[in-house]
Amino acid sequence: MSDRVYEILFIADPNLGEPEVDSLAAQLQAYVEKEGGRIQRVEKWGKKRLAYVVHKHREGHYVLLVTEGPSSMVHEVERRIRVTDGVVKFITVRVDEDLSKAERRKARRAASEARNPRPTQRREKTEEGVQA
Amino acid sequence: MSSGGTGGFRGSGGRQGGRAGAQGGRGGANKEQGKRYFFRRRKVCKFCSDKIDYIDYKDVKTLSGFVPERGKILPRRMFGTCAEHQRKLTLAIKRARNIALLPFAAE
Repeated sequence: MSDRVYEILFIADPNLGEPEVDSLAAQLQAYVEKEGGRIQRVEKWGKKRLAYVVHKHREGHYVLLVTEGPSSMVHEVERRIRVTDGVVKFITVRVDEDLSKAERRKARRAASEARNPRPTQRREKTEEGVQA
Repeated sequence: MSSGGTGGFRGSGGRQGGRAGAQGGRGGANKEQGKRYFFRRRKVCKFCSDKIDYIDYKDVKTLSGFVPERGKILPRRMFGTCAEHQRKLTLAIKRARNIALLPFAAE
């Protein structure tokens, strides 16, 4: 089974300092790599206000990990995240299918545009219609 | 009006000559209705016109444009999104809610 791309977005405790968030992210990355996954990208969004209260927190550090790996990896990593202190909330989303679909669409559109460039369409008001 | 109208229709769609007269009358009525619609701004799917293929749940800026203050997902007649993009939008909003990027309800 081929590997899939998953985005793991998690919210770290707002009371943690910057270095602690980094080490937490590194810890999760280690989980991923241990389960045969690879890290494609890490994005730190910084401290953001939450849309609603989660475990009495109003803010949190958002960190996004884009990973590539088998589905068994997600299972194990999620289990570990649940028992990790400092993670307030997390979500894992499989994105490879949707992204490749969007990519194909874009390519198809580009191809069809190249084949027949769209003339600037104008709604024609026929003389006939006015007369009738 | 009728003679001019049917004449015009026969000229343009003369292949179905027999029915042209009857259609001419109805065509005139539709035209009257059509005129009223003509001035109403037609809603066009924003994602189609902007050529956004992937609606990202992380993109709060885009999503919040489709979520009112109360946090509800509105029916697509409100924004004129097409069926396909409404489905994707709904999913993206739900994901964003899950991770506290968007509210479930107003506080």
